[in-house]
Amino acid sequence: MLFYSNVSFAAEAVLLGLASGPACLASCGPVLLPWLAAEADGVRGATSRLAVFLGGRLGGYLLFAVGAWALGVAVPVDSHARTLVFGLANLGLAAMLGLSAWPPRGSCRNNAQRANALVQVGEPGRTRPKLALALGFFTGLNLCPPFVAASVRAVETRSLAGALTFFLLFFGGTTVWFVPAVAVSAARRIAEVATVARMTMALLAAYYAYLGAMSVSWGILHAQ
Amino acid sequence: MPNEPKSKPRAVRTVSRSALLTLPMALFGLLMFSRTLALPGAAAKMAGLAAWLFMAGLFFFMMRTFETYRWRRIFFVTLGFLFPVGFIWDLISLRSSMSIPIEKMLSGDTPFCFLVIPMTIIPAALTKTIIFPGSILPTASNPHAIATMVALWVLATLVLGKAWCSFGCFFGGLEEGFSALAKKARINKINPRWRLVPWAVLAAIVLLSAATFEPTYCRWLCPFKTVTEYPEVRSVETAIQAGIFLSLFSGLVVVLPVLTKRRTQCAFFCPFGAFQSLFNKITAFDIRIDRDKCADCVSCQNSCPTLALDKDSIGRGKTLLACMKCGACVDVCHKGAAVWHVKGTAPNASPERARLLYLYGAWAFATMFGGDIIASSLQKLFGLVV
Repeated sequence: MLFYSNVSFAAEAVLLGLASGPACLASCGPVLLPWLAAEADGVRGATSRLAVFLGGRLGGYLLFAVGAWALGVAVPVDSHARTLVFGLANLGLAAMLGLSAWPPRGSCRNNAQRANALVQVGEPGRTRPKLALALGFFTGLNLCPPFVAASVRAVETRSLAGALTFFLLFFGGTTVWFVPAVAVSAARRIAEVATVARMTMALLAAYYAYLGAMSVSWGILHAQ
Repeated sequence: MPNEPKSKPRAVRTVSRSALLTLPMALFGLLMFSRTLALPGAAAKMAGLAAWLFMAGLFFFMMRTFETYRWRRIFFVTLGFLFPVGFIWDLISLRSSMSIPIEKMLSGDTPFCFLVIPMTIIPAALTKTIIFPGSILPTASNPHAIATMVALWVLATLVLGKAWCSFGCFFGGLEEGFSALAKKARINKINPRWRLVPWAVLAAIVLLSAATFEPTYCRWLCPFKTVTEYPEVRSVETAIQAGIFLSLFSGLVVVLPVLTKRRTQCAFFCPFGAFQSLFNKITAFDIRIDRDKCADCVSCQNSCPTLALDKDSIGRGKTLLACMKCGACVDVCHKGAAVWHVKGTAPNASPERARLLYLYGAWAFATMFGGDIIASSLQKLFGLVV
């Protein structure tokens, strides 16, 4: 009986992940796809970067699972604290995207470009593969509908190990949908793609920064 | 434009031949404006007649002078400035305000705009949901329905590609009007990397729309909310949005076109223009540079309103993907090297025939889409005095 219960639990987590994978991809797409297009060179490079990104995302998931289980609710009851946490996650995401959009210091080709920071947006520079971990982590912390569904189910388990296992299997189910993202690296054959992808990240950084700033200010103002 | 296309020392077509070539378009126009002409009231009849004469007259001059850009621009700027007049008039009549309250959005009364199309594709494919608060079919309270606009867009895009931006986009007409105001450009050096920004805006809005299930561009970035309809300012967020709309409109549609004499919003920001560029690959018409005749004077490059020509592309004898087939480069080229071309035929085989084929399609669309908007706006204006 226990065996069947465990199998059913595992199957539910994987199937939930598989079913909600497209929504996960749509939710993480604004961060992952431009970043891969800007950074990944070739299928092998894209695969390794995707793996690091997904590792970071898993870290975010598991941290959330621990939090969810420890508090015993799907998301923290205190809406101010919740808004503050997600606001900070968005600010972190904005910072990482901003870092990825601007070329690393010293990579600008001439003084004119160095002088005008605005023109440097999108300038192809050295890649920063380690940022994948941070980007994945912050996207993992973001609240998306499949994530809420998984966290609701996870808190119903009676042990921390159970909650973590559920999230791990759920994560495995969603990951299948991320594999085709490797194909984005093929677009790098067009010379301008990396520049466009970095400009896209700059725009998205502004968007997430706005979301983060609004959430953090709301959380602080209403907490008092 | 830094270099305005000027008349070339070329013979004009005879009046009778020009009239004969104009006849099919004039008859088509009569058919299109018959609805306005049949409406009761002198204002409607005057508007229908004026719009018909305007469209047929401009086509006649295109035939007579062999020039495209100058006459198209008169139509396009007229469309650009008359569209907001009619649109705002309708909004005031229906809602007594240009702002759209959230209740109207929820009831599907937001007029659909073609700029939304790229954002709707992924959510529609994934969930069969159109992420726009409009109605699929026209209703009494919202005549600008989604189905009508999408059908028109598909039809025009398959034939014209990015020429939509030269003959159909009523927003582009405003910029073209402002870009014609100054005699000389004050900003001549533009970093060509800015041409990539529309692709970045397109990627950002498509990805965010798929993630958030809302038309991100309309919500945050559309400069033309300033002259159409915008969400009612009821919160900090809507106030910020209104500020963004106003800043983008004044910067990209008014100030920069005057300073650069280019269509800056189209060239350096518009995501729909970038999306539309992709269809230039499948349309039958393009513009070629005959390398045997070309003197590398780059007057075509300087005349292009959207920087769709550079030295490399001229060297290859082709325009860049961003070409909206406005005809500026063809009209300015004194060597006759820049020519209209039908894909699959030899370059410079019969450029005037290629131009005629293209113009019949483009002007028919302009008459059907833009002409109707002009007639409708004129009717409202004539109604004030008649």
